[in-house]
Amino acid sequence: MPIHNASMPKASRKAVPLTQLSRGQRGRIDCTDAASEDCSMLRAMGLRPDASIQMCRLGEPCIISLTGGCGGGCRIGLAKDIASRVMIHIDE
Amino acid sequence: MPTTSSDSQTASTRRTIAVLGNPNVGKTTLFNRIAGIRAKTSNFPGTTQEARVAHVELNASPDDPIESILIDLPGIYSLDLDLSESKICADVLAGTAAPVGEEAHTPDALLVVIDATNLMRNLTIVGESIAKRLPTVVAVNMIDAARRRGIYIDAAKFAECLGCSVVLCSARTGEGVDELTAALSHAKIPDRSAPTDQSGIERWSEDVYALVSMPTEHLADDTLTDRLDRAFTHPVLGMLSFVAIMTGLFWMIFKLASYPMDWIDLWFGAVGSWAGSLIPPGAIHDLMVDGVIAGVGGTVIFLPQICLLFFLLALLEGSGYLARAAFVIDRALRPFGLSGHAFVPLLSSHACAIPGIMAARAIPDKRDRLATILVAPFMSCTARIPVYVLLTTILFPYRPLYQALAFTMCYALGIFAGLFTSLLFRRTILRGKSRPMALELPSYRLPDLKSALLLTFDRGMVFLKKAGTLILAISIVLWWLGAYPHSGPTDAAIELRAQAEALVDPEQAETLLAQADSLDTRNAAANSFLGRIGGTFQPMFAPLGYDRQLTVGVLASFAAREVFVSTMAVQVAGSDDVEDDTVLESIANATNDDGSRIFTYATSWSLLFFYVLASLCLPTLVVTAKEAGGWKWATLQLGWMSLLAYTSALAAYQFIIAAGGS
Repeated sequence: MPIHNASMPKASRKAVPLTQLSRGQRGRIDCTDAASEDCSMLRAMGLRPDASIQMCRLGEPCIISLTGGCGGGCRIGLAKDIASRVMIHIDE
Repeated sequence: MPTTSSDSQTASTRRTIAVLGNPNVGKTTLFNRIAGIRAKTSNFPGTTQEARVAHVELNASPDDPIESILIDLPGIYSLDLDLSESKICADVLAGTAAPVGEEAHTPDALLVVIDATNLMRNLTIVGESIAKRLPTVVAVNMIDAARRRGIYIDAAKFAECLGCSVVLCSARTGEGVDELTAALSHAKIPDRSAPTDQSGIERWSEDVYALVSMPTEHLADDTLTDRLDRAFTHPVLGMLSFVAIMTGLFWMIFKLASYPMDWIDLWFGAVGSWAGSLIPPGAIHDLMVDGVIAGVGGTVIFLPQICLLFFLLALLEGSGYLARAAFVIDRALRPFGLSGHAFVPLLSSHACAIPGIMAARAIPDKRDRLATILVAPFMSCTARIPVYVLLTTILFPYRPLYQALAFTMCYALGIFAGLFTSLLFRRTILRGKSRPMALELPSYRLPDLKSALLLTFDRGMVFLKKAGTLILAISIVLWWLGAYPHSGPTDAAIELRAQAEALVDPEQAETLLAQADSLDTRNAAANSFLGRIGGTFQPMFAPLGYDRQLTVGVLASFAAREVFVSTMAVQVAGSDDVEDDTVLESIANATNDDGSRIFTYATSWSLLFFYVLASLCLPTLVVTAKEAGGWKWATLQLGWMSLLAYTSALAAYQFIIAAGGS
């Protein structure tokens, strides 16, 4: 079990598409339901299961920041098409 | 500090160091700081991937410099992705690939550059690297930015976890770079290992991250970044700022480049006169002055625009804006089957289609890439500008507003034809949806001037090499076709010269002599190989309103379209009876042998359509064949563009004639 997860907020059990988060809301990635090459690319870019994210901009493009302890320094822009396939557990 | 080595040492005694890392981690800035200006860009054989290579001395101690070859590999997120850049990096590490000019063997050391502000994600490539069992050093770059965000990284613990040297550094400020070069001299094989499967490596990176970094609960204040992101990607505001920034970019390219372009023009003119006075008249004189110097000069004149474009694009990329602009353009291009990744290639194509097509390498999806390559030459490149200037001036003399509108129409027509082409191809031979964009948005920052200048220098050299080889060869062939076989003076010219000799008034005599020269020039042009070819093909272009001389101009343009103006200038020199001040006027007033004007209203519009849409550039076709992976794509590009150009020019000419125009 990764050590730093102990300090993380609790996440909801039900996963929702990334596009359903509101601005500023945080969550953790559950899985990505995209074509396999897109899926591997997203994982390599840091959107891996259990990664903490924060929603910065909704719509096209959807912009999220990876917050997992790194201060939100890494931002990723996603076309709506692909963002709707990333499933998230919203932090409670 | 590292110093540049002499090339006397043999490659076998040099250590090869591969530099690996994610995109946007400052890898190239770090490489430039170590390698300096002596680095060169090389391709990997048989691929479109390129790397920067530098020969440097790394000082383990002041008396013990180690000759090394640094190879800056393409930025990748993982060695295992199904992307050409990932595959080439994996091949280099396996010792089965090397950039052109270097020997393929397993690297002697590996420098993995990672971003301190985004450590966990970067650990994937670190894990994959240490699994290769090569002497490794990990450079934790951007440590200054990490400190500002309240991120703490324990280098000693990190080194312990990986079993190799870890150096905290900042390529931007130079902090830790000396320590890094020293560590590279003593790089050792990591005595720890990482899992090799994706899930295993993800778990491993989380564990390492938790051990070496103090997790920060406090998120840095990104209000400004958030606001800028929202503005730059907003459907209306984003598009407006994009238009404003691009207008500024083009204004600078056309305005600022005009001064060095004039200097280059003057310089080649002076070199031409100097060479002309030095070499005795004859074939060698003509070859050097009219073929080599005029041909290369006509191409090198575009160097300032190309350098300025790459410099400004590098600054925009370094500022973090380009990634945002790609999303704005993605929205606009997607309905036509192109993705936002096509933005930089299509923008570059407005300077020259060749670097534009080469920039399409960065497009991950093959069909997106092919569509972009096929569409790129429709963008109005700088070589079309002299032709646009000539034709819009002829169409609307002394009416600058109409000229500007016609000029804009040419650009718009090119873009529209490109989008239509993409739409057509994506519904037929390149069927399939465009791959949705997922792009890292780098932090906004002041761009690194040194990296931008080095990139500009590199691109400029590539262009100059092309001017000195391919374009030089084409110029020589064209000159030869236009100059041979030599024709003697015509009977009419001999008679005019005789009359001139008998005249007392020197001014009248000079006019007659000029008429005689003009007759001889026309006769020589008509009887040259190029003239005969023009005569043969003229019936094909007759429905478009082109006579033999225009046909020669169009045919000569197949080598490079800017040749049109110079070819017409040579052909029509002094053909009219009006006293002309400039070359432009002389072409505009040029007449046929029967006294009718060559450039009528209908012919000029027809030519304008033709030059916007036609694929009149041999080097572009060569690059298309290379980058798209076969001559069938270049043939398709040539065929489709020629078809569009011919039918549009035909329609324009016939419509104006039918409507009672001349």
